[in-house]
Amino acid sequence: MAGTPNPVLHESRSWYIYYMSSVAVVKYSNRDSLSPFDAAVYTRMLTSAFCLFTGAKDVVEAIHRVVRGNTVGIKTNCVTRKVNSTPVSLVDALARLLVKAGYLDNDLVVWDRTSRELSAAGFSLNASMKGVRCTGTDANGIGYSNSFFTSGSVNSLISRILTDLVDSNINVPVLKDHSVAGMSAGLKNMYGAINNPNKYHADNCNPFCAHVSALEPIRAKNKLTIIDATHVQYQGGPGYVPDYFAQYGGLIISDDPVAADRIGLEILEHLRKTNGQPSLEKAGRPVMYLATAEALGLGTATMSKIDLRVAEVDSDGRTKLAELLS
Amino acid sequence: MKRRSFLKCVGCGASAAAAADLLPDFLGLVQNAAAFDLQKELSKVEARYYKKLPGGGIECGLCPRHCQVTDLERGFCGVRENQADVYRTLVYGLPCAMNVDPIEKKPFFHFYPGTEALSIATAGCNVNCKFCQNWEISQSRPEQTNNYNYTPQALVDICLSQRIPNIAYTYSEPTVFYEYMYDTAALGKKNGIRSVVVSGGYIEREPLAALLGTVDAIKIDLKSIREEYYKNIVSGKLGPVLKTLEQIRKSGVWLEIVTLAVPTLNDSEAEFHDLSKWVKTNLGSDVPLHFSQFYPKYLLTNLPPTPQKTLETAYDIARAEGLEYVYLGNLPGHPSESTHCPKCGELVIERRGFRVYRNTLAKSCCPKCGWKVPGLF
Repeated sequence: MAGTPNPVLHESRSWYIYYMSSVAVVKYSNRDSLSPFDAAVYTRMLTSAFCLFTGAKDVVEAIHRVVRGNTVGIKTNCVTRKVNSTPVSLVDALARLLVKAGYLDNDLVVWDRTSRELSAAGFSLNASMKGVRCTGTDANGIGYSNSFFTSGSVNSLISRILTDLVDSNINVPVLKDHSVAGMSAGLKNMYGAINNPNKYHADNCNPFCAHVSALEPIRAKNKLTIIDATHVQYQGGPGYVPDYFAQYGGLIISDDPVAADRIGLEILEHLRKTNGQPSLEKAGRPVMYLATAEALGLGTATMSKIDLRVAEVDSDGRTKLAELLS
Repeated sequence: MKRRSFLKCVGCGASAAAAADLLPDFLGLVQNAAAFDLQKELSKVEARYYKKLPGGGIECGLCPRHCQVTDLERGFCGVRENQADVYRTLVYGLPCAMNVDPIEKKPFFHFYPGTEALSIATAGCNVNCKFCQNWEISQSRPEQTNNYNYTPQALVDICLSQRIPNIAYTYSEPTVFYEYMYDTAALGKKNGIRSVVVSGGYIEREPLAALLGTVDAIKIDLKSIREEYYKNIVSGKLGPVLKTLEQIRKSGVWLEIVTLAVPTLNDSEAEFHDLSKWVKTNLGSDVPLHFSQFYPKYLLTNLPPTPQKTLETAYDIARAEGLEYVYLGNLPGHPSESTHCPKCGELVIERRGFRVYRNTLAKSCCPKCGWKVPGLF
């Protein structure tokens, strides 16, 4: 899962960038409010993020470089109702951009493990032949794969949305603290694709988090990770605890799921530190599964091997370079 | 199935409600949710045996796992959820399996032979045996199973109207639907309906003690006498199961034990010796012990069924260790399905499969020598 080479950067930088994982972070300049971002803001951020990540000049070209297949899944995280779940406005903006890039709206499938959770997070379900589909794995006619997939210590059935319905998947989790795993972001979100996530929470979810993402359909079909780090539950997660809720205002995008999470961890630890919380390791919840995932070849968890690009976008869509932790 | 066919299959169920032109609306405005069975309502009955943790979250005290669960998360069993620091059972009154079985199928061989049991299970289990024969429900969350809606009163009413004398909590792991089981058993007791439990015995002492006051018989799966087996094959621990067996035995509630003999994993002669010895020493020689044949399922489809010879060896070893009532299961027609008087060898209960053909016990005693056969007859 090597990073996508950036042709522009490649011309000006040394050759080894081809072999590094790339991650782009786009922050919104006007991020003082704790209220959710609307679809227009997310559209600007996504447009900037796709272009920054791929080096393409427009978003359509950028999407064509990183999104594969005819039918595309958008895996949300809707465990915690409306707060700390993937925002509807983000998914709405992403779906519109994909349609702009030529995808049929009916070939986009917004999904999670249950329709009930999607609904509670504010999504409107749609299994019809018109419009963007939105459905839980538990909906009639879907369910889980008939046979088990195995990866290390994990044996699971996988949502048929991933195995049978979509050609590729965009993982759209939320960055947040997790009481067991330490951090919930991209890898942890794929627990929502298997039938038995409750069996894999021991030992800070390590090595399970890595093993779940190494299950063949997940590994093969997850082409892109877009982590919502606009509002971050830096302590007390994954549920909503207002005392530990901070504004970061960013989106993380990468085709390397481990590298995306690694950058998410930098942000999470920064927010914890600036808000007087101990590091996750000191809190007894070290995020060990990233190193395990790297060892499995799922991606890069080593900061020095990640080509990180950070930009800030304003309300007019203008972009300028920025710092990750500012 | 091709993708398009799949899409049509999924979509056709919703087509009636999808009359509106949804193209311009995208996600925020689509209003055909009624096409789904999205409200698979789960129960919200508060769970028993948990405590709130300082700083948020709860700790479950129902089984030896003691899962610590934060808001909106579930325990290992997958059917108990923390909702704003109130731990709730999601499966109260929601069985996903329901059948009328012979009591011999559980198996109970010394508990009202020839009677029937209304047998129920919900989704979920607190272990993860690689050989599970009912993994489709035991390893599922309640959203993944098709659930009926039967209150404890409804179950008891069925038994009364259909003249079924027993309710069996079985198939998956009744510990995880403890509240539903307990309330049904208590109500059944008031109405003259007996309750029997088929469990792996992975339960804490306090809830077990309460349960023992309401049920009439318990069958425990002693899956092995080796800690390593429990760790690697069961995802649990042996110690708590042994304590459960001792606690049940001391309580006087009728107890039978089943061991599934899995080829190459727990079928050595040494293990049969150790297991039988432990049962005799700690529970007594008159506890019925069933050795069952394994069939390849779930995560152990690479293994063959247990050879009959292996089971017969287990039978011989257990008898030689001094156990008086040893049976072999999943071998229909085998002589060891029947009960013989341990004193004179007389055939007192003849069984084939789950059917009782002859029961010659007179007031629980052998008609030939008068030996009292333990159990409830």
